[in-house]
Amino acid sequence: MIKSNDTDIQIAICGSAGDGTIASGDIMKRAAAAMGFNVIAFDVYPPEIRGFGKCISRIRISSKQTYSLKQESDVLVSLNDSHAIPHAAEVRDFGVVIYDDNLVARVAEGGHISAHIDAAQIPYGFSIRQISEQATNSSRSRNVVILGCLAGLFDLSAENFHDIIAKKFATKAQSVIDDNTKAFDAGLKAGRTVFRLDDIKVRAGKIKSNGAEAVMMTGNGAVVRGFLESEIESYFGYPITPATSIMERLAVEMPPRGGKFLQTEDEISAIAATIGAAYTGSRAATATSGPGLALMAEMIGLGVMAEVPSVVVVSQRGGPSTGLPTKTEQSDLNLAVFGGSGDAQRIVLAPTNVEGCYRCAGMAFDIAEIYQTPVILLIDLYLSNRYETVVPADAGTYTPKPRPQINLEGGENYKRFEMTKNHISPRALPGQPGLMYTATGLEHNEQGRPNDDAHMDMSIKRHEKLKGAVHYPGLNVSKRFGDKGKVDVGILGWGSTFGEILETMYQAQAEGISCSAMKVVMLSPLPLQSIEDFFDDCREVLIPELNYEGQFAGLVCGALGRPVTRLSRATGSPMVVREILDEVRRLSGREPAPVQAVGAMGARS
Amino acid sequence: MNERVQPVYLEEKLEEIRADGHLEYRSKSLPTWCPGCGYFSMVEGLTTALKRLEIDSKDTVVVSGIGCASRFPFFVNTYGFHTLHGRVLPVATGVKIGNDALTVVAVGGDGDAFAIGGGHIPHAARRNVNLTYLVFDNGIYGLTKGQTSPTSALGFKTSSTPYENRDAPLHPLMMLLSYGASWVGQAYAGRQHHLADMITQAVSHQGFSFLRVLSPCVTFDKTNNTYANLNTTVRDLPDDHDNSNLMAAMNQASRDDHPALGLYYKEDRETLEQVMKATASRSVKTGTGRADKQ
Amino acid sequence: MTTTPHYVIIGSGSAGFGAAKTLRTGDADCRITMVTMDSLPFYNRYNLPQVFHGRHDWRDLMDVPPAQYAELGIELRRRSRVVDVDGAQRFVSLAHQEHVAYDRLLVCAGGRGYLPENLTEYFGLMHGFGSFEAAMRLHKDLPKGGTAIMIGGDMTGIDLAMTLLETGYNVTLITTSQTFWPHRVTTQERDRLLAALEAAGMKVLKDTRAVGVSRENSGKPAACVTLEDGTEVRGDVVMPFCGLASSVEFMLRADVDIERGLLVTPELHTSNETIWAAGDVCQIWHDQEKAYKFFHGWKNVRVMGELAARNMLGANEIFDVNIEDRIDVDADGKISSTFWIH
Ligand SMILES: Cc1cc2nc3c(=O)[nH]c(=O)nc-3n(C[C@H](O)[C@H](O)[C@H](O)COP(=O)(O)OP(=O)(O)OC[C@H]3O[C@@H](n4cnc5c(N)ncnc54)[C@H](O)[C@@H]3O)c2cc1C
Ligand SMILES: Cc1ncc(C[n+]2csc(CCOP(=O)(O)OP(=O)(O)O)c2C)c(N)n1
Ligand code: SF4
Ligand SMILES: [Mg+2]
Repeated sequence: MIKSNDTDIQIAICGSAGDGTIASGDIMKRAAAAMGFNVIAFDVYPPEIRGFGKCISRIRISSKQTYSLKQESDVLVSLNDSHAIPHAAEVRDFGVVIYDDNLVARVAEGGHISAHIDAAQIPYGFSIRQISEQATNSSRSRNVVILGCLAGLFDLSAENFHDIIAKKFATKAQSVIDDNTKAFDAGLKAGRTVFRLDDIKVRAGKIKSNGAEAVMMTGNGAVVRGFLESEIESYFGYPITPATSIMERLAVEMPPRGGKFLQTEDEISAIAATIGAAYTGSRAATATSGPGLALMAEMIGLGVMAEVPSVVVVSQRGGPSTGLPTKTEQSDLNLAVFGGSGDAQRIVLAPTNVEGCYRCAGMAFDIAEIYQTPVILLIDLYLSNRYETVVPADAGTYTPKPRPQINLEGGENYKRFEMTKNHISPRALPGQPGLMYTATGLEHNEQGRPNDDAHMDMSIKRHEKLKGAVHYPGLNVSKRFGDKGKVDVGILGWGSTFGEILETMYQAQAEGISCSAMKVVMLSPLPLQSIEDFFDDCREVLIPELNYEGQFAGLVCGALGRPVTRLSRATGSPMVVREILDEVRRLSGREPAPVQAVGAMGARS
Repeated sequence: MNERVQPVYLEEKLEEIRADGHLEYRSKSLPTWCPGCGYFSMVEGLTTALKRLEIDSKDTVVVSGIGCASRFPFFVNTYGFHTLHGRVLPVATGVKIGNDALTVVAVGGDGDAFAIGGGHIPHAARRNVNLTYLVFDNGIYGLTKGQTSPTSALGFKTSSTPYENRDAPLHPLMMLLSYGASWVGQAYAGRQHHLADMITQAVSHQGFSFLRVLSPCVTFDKTNNTYANLNTTVRDLPDDHDNSNLMAAMNQASRDDHPALGLYYKEDRETLEQVMKATASRSVKTGTGRADKQ
Repeated sequence: MTTTPHYVIIGSGSAGFGAAKTLRTGDADCRITMVTMDSLPFYNRYNLPQVFHGRHDWRDLMDVPPAQYAELGIELRRRSRVVDVDGAQRFVSLAHQEHVAYDRLLVCAGGRGYLPENLTEYFGLMHGFGSFEAAMRLHKDLPKGGTAIMIGGDMTGIDLAMTLLETGYNVTLITTSQTFWPHRVTTQERDRLLAALEAAGMKVLKDTRAVGVSRENSGKPAACVTLEDGTEVRGDVVMPFCGLASSVEFMLRADVDIERGLLVTPELHTSNETIWAAGDVCQIWHDQEKAYKFFHGWKNVRVMGELAARNMLGANEIFDVNIEDRIDVDADGKISSTFWIH
């Protein structure tokens, strides 16, 4: 929980694609992480590839653990007024708007952001372009000048910025580093001379306790890191937002490690090759979004039937079809959990934050191999693209577990699908003498020979073998937060929404509402016992999620047959804490606080 | 055979196989195809090839799609993966990438290859994945009991074209040649020894080898690709055919009325596995990657 | 084009803010834009000495909450400097390259601290007191118990000086002809007033003239004022309080009559049909004296702003120029003014 003397500021940098907005945000978040702050950040790019669409990088910098971005920013930096103007309203009262007040070209009336700054907000104008030109003979470093201004204003360590600038441009000419450093320093000087009217406080960040330096990662970056640390061997992918960056990063990272990377002709091919490689014992994965998952459904079923381990990352976006390709949603739960033909239970993991992406990805191959089944890592655009500081795991944490050796005399009696106590059968890999078998999507007997009569027994085997997964060590497939024991309101959540759920829960507790929250990380099989216990403790259970149908609520209700209140939202944007809080208040028997009129603080044209 | 009819197996055949001495490659399960089906010769052809090339059965993976032809893996004593309709090539590609010490043979029917799986062929070909793709082309959907396929002849009456097929058939060899397959050949189930030779060559080729095997479906095609018809129409490639000349190969491949048997085209080109190794060593020199750079 | 008129007000001081409120009262629908160089929303400048009483958060100085701008529908443009007014085309040009068109313009740009000619080159070495920022800077730079040297001592300065004396600082006053500005005082009155200041603890230097200012960064106190006889007066900060010079430079192309300030009729109308002026920026025609006169002080200015606004809406009111100009000191040494109200 954030207290009043903690640092907790959210900076939004807004400009167009040509302004270096995202690069600027990138340096900002890395520098803040280097200072020891917890950072959560989320960039929004234009849906169009060409032109100068709007980019906005939001960075929450805190001395305490935080769980989501804030609804309101403390600082807005405009690198392009026409893009930034609509965002002026997101700056809180007595927060800051930073902009260029020395333009060279005429702007239309109302086209300058100063026209849109609320009376309660603090305007800080700088000659951003001019400072850049004077420092580097070019206006291109405006994005770094503003970082200097921020550092100067809020007394952030210039050293950390210098460091990150040098790293960021390490592959470029030295003059690029020098120019950007000069631009930063010029901005710093300007920032320091400003007479501050805002009430933003930044205290020194706290370096993480376990000695390891926290690293800035996106959800997708964390998946990549988890995969690399757990020694991924093959990757097959087809580009699709928001999963593409996983593929692009692995394309860089895998070859030098001897890994095999291939961009396939479609998602069917991607999952087919993943399963093909996995069949040989390779630690293989693919990543996609909803439309790709739909194409993969049949092959995932084959993976279930043939008991081939594979890892499929699914980063959800708005659907159906191409839907809202650049917006976030949690509406592929049903497809991930149930998609495909027949009874085809697989393991579905839905981490709730970037650290969870890292952990789940780090464990996914072992889980897939142990349970010999596809593992779906279900995330979403909001989690894929948001940045958080994560403390890397100790070396070796995700090193692959050794494969169990098959102990057979002569191998004559090898049964690939042998019925065992834990329903998990010994898996031979091509190249092993005497254990040849054919994996198949046909129902088969213990030897793997086609046999329809084995269907019931084999269905039992394939479902029962997954039951143990909910106890997989170190995975925390469910976890309860907040008040212990009986509570009035319990918020049950999954995936990226859980950040907003936790923020809500802490606010509700601060209001004196007895409240708990529980995250469910394993969506298939469900950790039913702990969910049932949670229901037993909560007078009311609320399930907020980002889809229209309430898919998770449906899943839980179907499994437990208990009533829940759904807060299902399909807006393309992350959950709003305020909305969840109102629902919690209502369920706890309190009146929701009157809704604050948007823009009540200023006249806007 | 079809999805309901019980398989029949000819006892004489078994004796023949046992006598042949490459039983080690034969599975304990006997083929479930209809008596007389052209596919029997394929099992014979592949096992002969593996025997000749001294490839250990434990180091061989036969991957197939779905269809009569795709039942193949169950009838050889190698590792096998009977996958999904149309997906044999991407799975086989994954198998090869997963462990490139393995000899990978992909098999499937004409529907599996050119209808549902048609999108994958160009990519396996252009990437030059080092595997052998045997397409058992009977010009019909066997497993689903006789519907038209992309290689069915014009005028063919099937259960899905009761008023005659009017969709022009594909030219598989021309397709593969233009896709950049580095080894393209044709064989006929009725010419066992030639077939075994062709499979041997195809498997020993470094790169993507495509062998189309003309194979009668005795159950659902009584009029077109019958043994009787094929025996009279097939011919050998001319003696002077230059199998390094792509245009000559194209020219021969266009002659569907008299399908020529033999090696149409062969080219030595970097395989996908070689490309990946080269990329790996280049990346070690130039790679800058760090996981947290995301 | 909208049918509701757009009123643009330059300046967010007492005159400007009072005018804006009056405009809204008189016309619920009109568009009102207020352009100002200030960073803060409206506050009463006369409250600035309060920073020495510990009111360091600008929000404490607000007379009205910032939300009132929204409630009143005033589009507030802060940190926006008007560089030009085109009185024919009817738009104002802002320094950041934006043009704002108006139907009717009210200029309430006030004035800046006036600096005697011979001291202008020392501008950077002196402290002003016209804004919250300046007040806080002074508060920061003036060490507890330190000494402020005031040159001139207009009413703003006297006001600050009294607060400084009350709160434990020292004030040295070098008098000029602007001492007690905007009041015009006789020699007799002046001596009486200065005596009262001395009695309150101020050190007063009469019959001399400051000719130079210097600052050393080693040793304390840092600031030094050189007098015409060569003697040096030492203190921590030097502050000119020599009255105001009106801010009119941006009005040169506006097609209005200008002398020292903007010349207006008693209706506060300039010579341009769509431009009015109010507050410290304007000189109002005094018919008896046959001259344009400044009327400073918060109370006068406020009346002007409201009156100008009503006239812009169509009224025809006249500013009463017969204002008593008297400054007194009572038995306790307390100074009072007829229009410099606190
Ligand atoms: C420190 C101090 C103490 C005072 N104490 C008292 C007191 O106790 N009693 C009393 O009666 N009077 C007092 N006064 C004087 C009184 O406050 C002034 O007469 C009054 O503030 C003048 O109001 P105004 O609206 O005309 O101008 P100001 O309040 O000076 O406002 C001028 C406005 O115009 C804006 N402006 C100027 N130029 C431009 C431009 N180019 N572009 C855009 N905006 C521009 C400024 O930003 C400002 O908002 C004091 C003044 C000061 C400075
Ligand atoms: C996705 C999917 N669609 C349809 C089928 C049904 N199906 C099975 S085999 C087959 C066609 C087989 O024809 P071909 O590939 O030529 O093989 P053949 O049986 O002739 O050897 C079809 C349509 C299936 N198994 N999967
Ligand atoms: S292809 Fe025709 S003959 Fe061969 S097994 Fe299938 S149905 Fe029977
Ligand atoms: Mg066929």
